[in-house]
Amino acid sequence: MYRRSPFPWKQQYVPYLQSTSTIYSNNMDIQGRNVRSCGENIVEMVDMDEENIAISSSSDADAAFDAVIGCIEDIIMEEEFQQLQQIFMEKHYLEFDDSDENKLSYTLIFNEYVDQLEKHLEQHLMERIPSFNMNTFIELLMHHKEEVSTDIFDMLLTFTDFMAFKEMFLEYRAEKEGRGLDLGQGLVVTSLIPAGSGLSQ
Amino acid sequence: MGLLTILKKMKQKEREMRLLMLGLDNAGKTTILKKFNGEDISTISPTLGFNIKTLEHKGFKLNIWDVGGQKSLRSYWRNYFESTDGLVWVVDSADRLRLGDCKQELSTLLLEERLAGATLLVFANKQDLPGALSKEAIQEALALDEIKSHHWCIISCSAVTGENLLAGVDWLLDDIAARIFTAD
Repeated sequence: MYRRSPFPWKQQYVPYLQSTSTIYSNNMDIQGRNVRSCGENIVEMVDMDEENIAISSSSDADAAFDAVIGCIEDIIMEEEFQQLQQIFMEKHYLEFDDSDENKLSYTLIFNEYVDQLEKHLEQHLMERIPSFNMNTFIELLMHHKEEVSTDIFDMLLTFTDFMAFKEMFLEYRAEKEGRGLDLGQGLVVTSLIPAGSGLSQ
Repeated sequence: MGLLTILKKMKQKEREMRLLMLGLDNAGKTTILKKFNGEDISTISPTLGFNIKTLEHKGFKLNIWDVGGQKSLRSYWRNYFESTDGLVWVVDSADRLRLGDCKQELSTLLLEERLAGATLLVFANKQDLPGALSKEAIQEALALDEIKSHHWCIISCSAVTGENLLAGVDWLLDDIAARIFTAD
């Protein structure tokens, strides 16, 4: 069961020329190993808004798409991105309590968080890919949507998950206040029931 | 709308729905949520923020958001409209004095563009109270028959006894599933 259209206001898609999912997954593999090269194999991002669509071939469009994915991956792995998150948490963590009911302020902080990360991503994408156009990329993304179930997207999605966001703040606060949750580190759990007694699992 | 927001919409999970529960304060929203979730309902205090519960029902994952209904909080409701599949409007059927308010707030919500794609379930709650109005009376007081913009249904219920809560949610799920999901 799938949603008919998550974008009811964008029903008309530019037809995508031959989905080439094998090329896509190969490229992902290469990008994983070759992190710094994200700007190199970029084919001009095609502006879909123009009337005559200038995709020379489907693999060009694929390569452009893959290049953007590779860049996104780089950006969120970089220290600058982690710092952005760190500074944000430092600024707001005292607002978060470990109670079941959420404060209305959490939502405002959450929206600000998503907004900051989005802006950071977009800005850095534009620095690295001069021809980058978010709308074009989003169009491409929609055509590739069956294929974009990669780790990178799961990670991006956690940035938009409120419960994960709250959890992150609670952990940060616990750590700041010396109530660290990482008791498991360096702790060896030994079963009281001797192995082989038939009682252990 | 930025990349992350769009991505989230795009990857909205199959068999997953977002329900938003609103209504005046003391209508019983949190009690409904907790009852539905099998939690203790004996000590519920007025909600000043919001609650989220994720439940599995009929093979669907329901993310239910319950936001406080006090007058001073209502301006925050709009922060929760995005991506709502179903709106649950909870009415205290015994609160005759505020039915006018209740009608007004509901009709304001129904004009919201971001709720345009949501199915509306009205819970005529607190049927266990002696002075409770029938669902027909609530239907009339809220002028539900005039609603042409949304699929809607009114169901009488009692959050305290749990009566009809399931029937309401079942209807809501079926309507949403038929509207927005496709089998292939």
